[in-house]
Amino acid sequence: MAQAKKKSSLGFVLQPMKRTGKTLANSLFLGKPNTVLYPYQKLDLPIGYRGKHIVDFKRCIGCSNCVQICPNDCMWMEKLEDPELGKIERPGVDYGRCLFCGFCVEICPTVAIHESVEFELAHRERSRLKYGPKELRDDSFAGKVKEERQKRLLPILDMSKCTSCEKCAGECPEMAIAMMPIENVGRKKPEINLNKCTSCKKCEAVCPESALKLEEVYESYFEMPEPKLLIKSCTGCSACSKACPADAIYMMEMPGTEKVLKDGKKGKPKKRAVFVLEKCVGCGKCFRTCKFEAIEWPGVRK
Amino acid sequence: MAEMWINMGPQHPMTHGLWNLRVKVDGETIVDAQPEVGYLHRGIEKLCEGKTYPQIIPLADRLCYGSSLTWSHLYCMAVEDLMKVEVPERAEYIRVLTIEMQRIVSHLMWLAAYAGDLGLGVGFVYTMREREVFLDLFQSLTGARITYNFPRIGGVAHDLPQNFERDTLRAITFFEGRLKEYEDLFEGSKIFMMRNVGVGILKKEDAINLGVTGPSLRASGVTYDLRKDLPYSVYEEMDFRVATHKDCDCYARYRVRMDEMWESCQIMKQALKKMPEGKWRIVAPRNAPVGTGLARVEDPRGEGMIYIVGDGSDKPYRVKIRSPIFVTVSAAPKMLIGYKLADVVAIMGGLDMCIGETDR
Amino acid sequence: MNLFEFCYGIIHWLVDLVNHLWYWLGDVLPWWFGDFFDAVGDFAASQGHLSVMTIFLEVVIVVIIALINVLNFIWIFRKFMGRMFDFYGPYYVGYGIGGWLQNLADGIKLFVKEIIVPAKADKMGYLLAPIIYIGSSILILATIPFSENFGVSTNESGTYVPAGALFALAAFAIAPFSILLAGWASNNKYTLIGGMRSAAQMMSYEIPLLMTVASVFLLAGSFGFVDIVDAQHDIWFAIPLFIGFLIFLVCLAAEVEIIPFDLPEAEAELVEGWTTEYGGMRFGLFYFTTTIRSYAGGALATALFLGGWHGPALIPDEIWFLIKAYIVYTVFQWMTWSLPRVRVDQMLGIGWKRLLPLAVINLMIAVALKSMGWF
Repeated sequence: MAQAKKKSSLGFVLQPMKRTGKTLANSLFLGKPNTVLYPYQKLDLPIGYRGKHIVDFKRCIGCSNCVQICPNDCMWMEKLEDPELGKIERPGVDYGRCLFCGFCVEICPTVAIHESVEFELAHRERSRLKYGPKELRDDSFAGKVKEERQKRLLPILDMSKCTSCEKCAGECPEMAIAMMPIENVGRKKPEINLNKCTSCKKCEAVCPESALKLEEVYESYFEMPEPKLLIKSCTGCSACSKACPADAIYMMEMPGTEKVLKDGKKGKPKKRAVFVLEKCVGCGKCFRTCKFEAIEWPGVRK
Repeated sequence: MAEMWINMGPQHPMTHGLWNLRVKVDGETIVDAQPEVGYLHRGIEKLCEGKTYPQIIPLADRLCYGSSLTWSHLYCMAVEDLMKVEVPERAEYIRVLTIEMQRIVSHLMWLAAYAGDLGLGVGFVYTMREREVFLDLFQSLTGARITYNFPRIGGVAHDLPQNFERDTLRAITFFEGRLKEYEDLFEGSKIFMMRNVGVGILKKEDAINLGVTGPSLRASGVTYDLRKDLPYSVYEEMDFRVATHKDCDCYARYRVRMDEMWESCQIMKQALKKMPEGKWRIVAPRNAPVGTGLARVEDPRGEGMIYIVGDGSDKPYRVKIRSPIFVTVSAAPKMLIGYKLADVVAIMGGLDMCIGETDR
Repeated sequence: MNLFEFCYGIIHWLVDLVNHLWYWLGDVLPWWFGDFFDAVGDFAASQGHLSVMTIFLEVVIVVIIALINVLNFIWIFRKFMGRMFDFYGPYYVGYGIGGWLQNLADGIKLFVKEIIVPAKADKMGYLLAPIIYIGSSILILATIPFSENFGVSTNESGTYVPAGALFALAAFAIAPFSILLAGWASNNKYTLIGGMRSAAQMMSYEIPLLMTVASVFLLAGSFGFVDIVDAQHDIWFAIPLFIGFLIFLVCLAAEVEIIPFDLPEAEAELVEGWTTEYGGMRFGLFYFTTTIRSYAGGALATALFLGGWHGPALIPDEIWFLIKAYIVYTVFQWMTWSLPRVRVDQMLGIGWKRLLPLAVINLMIAVALKSMGWF
C-alpha cells in the first residue's frame, strides 16, 4: 500500500475525525444524545413485551397447563381459599427461574394469564423472587388488553339427551360428524372432527333433543393430548369428574352395566364417565386421579 | 526473548465468550497456536431429551445468543421435517423477514466487538446504536430483545403487529444511509486498513479442507451460500447476490459481512412486498413419528445443522447440533502462525466467535 | 508583581510570626537553651532559609493549580468522549455543574479498594516503579510557568530555572524506565510484553520529539521558557515550523500513550497492559499520571509552538496559556476517539521510517530560517 506522503496520511486520519465530529456536533447542538436517563426517564415498552405475569382469578380454571408446559419448571399451583370463589388452585411463578418465554400465556385455555410490561423484579433475597398467586392477581386486565386469540363456536354434546338418531351426522355439510360405537354399550355417539367444523350451527338446529349446543371455546395452538377411557375398568367412582377443571367429564348411567340380581331382575344401571373432548384442555388431572387405570394418556413419555 | 506460551483466556476481554487460546510467542511473533473450547458446555443436547418438542424452542434460542432466531428457526425446520408438517406461506415469509433482520443484528454486534477490540471505541458505540433500532423492532414484534422464542412448529408465534411494515421500511432506509457513513469511519481510516489488509490469510484450499463455512469461506473466494445452493423456506423467490471477495485476509471478511448486511436489507424489502395474506400458524402434532429429521440453514457464522431422532412420543430421542464455529476455530493455527501477537485480535475477531453454539 | 515576591511576602510574614515564639523562648530559658533558640530564630530569618521556603511555597502553588487543571482535563475527557459517543458523560454526581464531582467520587472509590502485592513479584521493583513514574511526572508540572510572572522562579527578578524546557523534557523522558520496571517486576507475561512494547515505543518517539524541539531551540536561541515565548511575539513557531508542530503532536501522543498509540495498555490483547497487577489507589495514580503527562505535553506544545501566553490583553496571560493548552488537549481527544490502535511493527515503522526523516527536514528548515536572520 502506498504510504509515502504525509498528506495522504493526514487525509486518512482526518476522515474518521470528520465522522466523530459530526456526531459531536449533532449531540451537542442539534438534539439530545441517544440516551434514556433511566431510572429518571422511563422506557417506552410495546404492549407485547413479556414481563411479569398477571393472573385473572375469575377466568382461571386451575388446570395447571401452564405449570406443565413451562420449560424451566418455574411455576406451581397453590391451593387457596377465596371468599368469592371458594377453594381454588391458582398458579405462582418463581422469577428466579422464569425465562419470560410466554408459553404459559399461549397455552392457557381461557386466556387467564398474561404478561405485563413490568420488568423491574430484582431483589436482594432469593426467596422474595417467588411470587405467589395473590401477588400476581389482577382480575381486571381482560378489559385492558386486546385479545389476540380467536374464539370458536364448537358443538358440545350432552350425552344424556342423545338418542343416537344420527340426524346430525347426515346434516353436517363438511362431513365432520361420525357416529362411533361406545365400548361395551352398543350405542353410537357422534364424534365431531373439530378441524373440519365451521360453526354453521346446522347440527344444533336439527337435533330433536337439543343435545348439541354451540359454545365459545378459545382456539388452542398446541395439540393437547386426549385422554381415552377404558370403560371396562371404570367403576364410576366419579373422582375424575370432580377433578376435571374444565367440566369435560360427567357421569351418566350406561345401559348394559346392570348387575343381574339373585332373583333374575336387573339392577339399576351403573354410572360411567363420559368425556366431552371438545371442552378438554389436556391437563391430565383425570389421568392422575383415576386409581383404577381406566384412563389412557397416549404417547407421553415420562 | 525466549519463546513462551501465553494463555489468552479463558478470562480475557477480547475473546467474547469463554474459550482459551494458547499461543506460543517468540518476541511478538506467533509460532504456534492451540485453541481450547469447552468451558461453556451446558449440556443442551442432553437437556433436549427431557423436554417436549415445543419446550425446546427457548433452549434452542440460547444456543447462540448473538443470533438466536436462526437456531430456533433451524430447530423448528428440523422438527417439521420429522413430523412432515407443511408451514403456511405467510409464516414462511415472516420467518425470512425475521431471519434477515437477525442477520443484520448479528453482524452489527460482530462489527461492534471487532471495532472495539481494535481500539476504535466509537465503532463499538455507533454500531450498537444502529442495532438498537432493530432490537426495538424485534421487541414490538416478539416481546423480547435477544432470545425471542418466536418460531413455532408449524409457523410463527403470532402475526405482525400494526404499523410493523411502515416501521421496518423506515428502519431499513435509515440503516442503509448509515452503512454508507461507516465507510468514513472504517475504510477511510488508514490505521484500520493497516491492521486488516494482508493479515490472517486463509487460502482457498485450506478453507475447504478444514471445513470452514460462512463469511470466512466466502472471503477466500468460494461462492457457497446455502440460501442459493440448497434453498430452504422461500429463498428461491428472493433476488439477491452472494457476497464474495477474493483476498483471503481480514479485510475481505469485513467486506463480505458489510455486503451481506446490504443484501439482507434488500431481501427484507422484497419479503415485505411479497407477503401474502393467510394463516401464520397451524397446529402441529404433539407426538412425533418414529424417524429422523434434518435441517440445514445459513447461520450468520456459517452452516448450522440439526438432526433429530424421534421415537413416537412427545419428547425427542436425540438432538444433534452441528455448530459452524466449532469447525472454523480449528482453522485458527493456519491463520495465526507467522503474524504478530496484536494480530490475534483482528484474526480471531474476524471469525465472529460465539462460544454458546460451539460448546452447546 | 511576580510569584516570587508574592510568596516571599507570605513567608516573611509567617517567619516573623513564628520568630516571636523562638525569641521569647530564647529570652526566657536559661544558659544554653536560650542561645539555642536565639540561633534558631536567626537561622529562620536568614536569607537562604527564606528563599528555600519561598521556592517550596511557589512549587506547591503551581503544582496545585496544575493538578486542578488536570482534574478539569479528566472531566473534559469524559464529557467529550461521551458526546462523541452520543451519550452524556458524567451526569449525576455534581448534577448542576455537569458532573464535575465524578472525579472525586472515582478517587474515593479507588481509595477504598484493596491493594495487593503479588506473591512472586519483585517487591523492590514493584513498589518503586509507581514512585518514579508519578514523581517524575509531577516534577514536570513544577517547571512549566504559566506566564512571565507566574512560575517557579529562584529570585526576585523572576528568572526561571535556566534551560527550563530542556529540564521539563528530561523529566518527561524518565518514565519509560519505570514502565519497564513495573512490567517486569509484576511477574506476569502480559505485563512483560506491555513493558517491552512501551520501552520500544517511547524510545522510538523520543528522537523525533527532541529533534523537533531542537529546531525550536535553534530559532529561539535559548533553552528557557521565557526566551522561547518572547521569540514568538511576531509569529508563532507553529507556522514556519508547521511540519515540526505536527511531528511534535504525533510524538506527544506516543509518549503519553493515548490511542492510537496505546499498545502497552491495549485492553483487548493485554488486559490493562503493564498496569495489570496494580490495584486500588496505585492504579488510580497511574491513570491520573497519564492525564498529568497529557497536560504537561499540552503545556509544552503551547509554550514551544503556539506562542505561550501571548494574546490580546483582555484576558490575563495565564488564562491564555491554559486556554491554548485546553485546545491542544481537545484536539488530542478528538483524535483519540476516532482512530483504532496501531500494531507494534507499524508503530516502529512510523517512528523510524516516517517521522525521523521529516524531523531532519524540519531541522534543516529551522537552520535555513535562522541563517536568513528572520528570527
